[in-house]
Amino acid sequence: MFIAGANSPIKNTSYKVVLPFYGYAALSFLVATILLFNNTSAFTQHYFSPHTLAITHTMALGWGTMIILGASHQLFPVMIEGKLHSNFLAYLSFFFAAVGIPFLVTAFYKFDMSFIAQTGAVLINLAVLCYLANLWLSIANSKSKNIHAIFAFTAVLWLFTTTLLGLLLIWNFTTHIFSEGSLYFLSLHAHLGIIGWFLLMIMGVGSRLIPMFLISKYENKKMLWWIYSLINVGLISFIFIFLSSLKTQLYFVPIVLVGIGVVLFGIFIYRSYAQRIRKKVDGQVKMSLLSVVLVVVPIIILAIIILLFATLSNIQLVLLYGFTIFFGWITTIILGMTFKTLPFIIWNKVYSSIAGIGKTPNPKELFSSRIFMANGVTYLIGFIIFGLGIIQSSVLILNIGSIFLLITAVLYNFNVFKILFHKA
Amino acid sequence: MDVKTNNTEKNEIALIGLHNVLDPEIGLNIVDLGLVYEIDFSEETNDIVVTMTLTTQFCPMGESIVESTTQSMQQSFPEGNIQVNLIFQPPWNQSMISEEGHIFLTT
Repeated sequence: MFIAGANSPIKNTSYKVVLPFYGYAALSFLVATILLFNNTSAFTQHYFSPHTLAITHTMALGWGTMIILGASHQLFPVMIEGKLHSNFLAYLSFFFAAVGIPFLVTAFYKFDMSFIAQTGAVLINLAVLCYLANLWLSIANSKSKNIHAIFAFTAVLWLFTTTLLGLLLIWNFTTHIFSEGSLYFLSLHAHLGIIGWFLLMIMGVGSRLIPMFLISKYENKKMLWWIYSLINVGLISFIFIFLSSLKTQLYFVPIVLVGIGVVLFGIFIYRSYAQRIRKKVDGQVKMSLLSVVLVVVPIIILAIIILLFATLSNIQLVLLYGFTIFFGWITTIILGMTFKTLPFIIWNKVYSSIAGIGKTPNPKELFSSRIFMANGVTYLIGFIIFGLGIIQSSVLILNIGSIFLLITAVLYNFNVFKILFHKA
Repeated sequence: MDVKTNNTEKNEIALIGLHNVLDPEIGLNIVDLGLVYEIDFSEETNDIVVTMTLTTQFCPMGESIVESTTQSMQQSFPEGNIQVNLIFQPPWNQSMISEEGHIFLTT
């Protein structure tokens, strides 16, 4: 017996909401690699330097966060099985972030922590608040409150915690809010963002989308709840150890908890892959699967850093840790998932009215697969060479690596804008 | 999964057209994917109701698939009043994929 649904077709989030985020993120990646190319010597010095901070925030906010915000406005309805509450809030979120990020990055680059930095940080917080409100109202109106949506919403709460602390740290440069300097809180700010925002969000979305793209029979909500708990308890224990100024060795507790969470997530993805119906896996999904492997690299580096901190301060390893997160794990998943989402959004816009009665191109034909492949190759070469350059503290090796990463960004932008400007 | 119908002859014509409606992400047509549950033909009113689902509710490609289904049916039955009734109970699952669909996905 069938249960009838509404006769009218379902309404998805408008492409007009999503596309600006994709374009902005692509340009931010290009800007970040140009900054990287022009400032490779910054990666032979202490990580708390103006240029490193500028590059890190371009990658974390302009690249990683903007593309996740864009894609999630489209994908969140799939996860909660309900409509996005407001397109207006989404536009507002884009506007605040798009203006705030260049303010903040410029301020870091010039190391002017007064008006420009404060304005940028306030605008970014407003963007996150709009996004948070939109997601909260969307969940409140939806019928399904599943684990994937809980992952995503918790991630946004952590994002707000991160940006709010970031705002306070900016203010702390000119007005003493905290008893310690802003540098002291850097690792807290960074890990709230890396673990709370990026890791939880990518796991929440990935655990829903990767099995869906693979048409996998595998389901394991219990394991996802375990992963969710391990990551959150790990992060909360990190905050507690940090704020209580406990022994450095105790940081192994959050590392082990988050590490187990990541391994379980890897097992979840592997089982989804093993039990898939769709045998042929495209390059975009392969790239996303690679990112699941790459997330282990920074965790290992972090464990080494804590072991070594008892004896010496290893700046190269800290730089490598940050690099493998932003240019490794996060970049890999974006390089893959962009071409698994964006072509479909554009295809929907251009061809939905004529599909079914005439020949239409496959969404994959909206971008150059050759350039996509070349993009993957230049990225992997650049990532490995630049990583080696950090370990060796060699400007020459860093320069070579940065050229490959710059080429990657150019190729990526070519394909993204080829899709964005596609016409029938 | 067989598509339920009250008119086998017209149903065959409809299915020929619907075999051209693809899920753009998977590349498989909606019939073999098991998205079409029932096609009901009314001789008196000329109404044709396609009862179908999507692989997931709020699928980003959902509007496009529904639109393509309507267009395809309209092309097959120019005089018909086409309605697409989108339902999510029973929800779609992999067992609804036809044998041809399985071959397409596994080769």
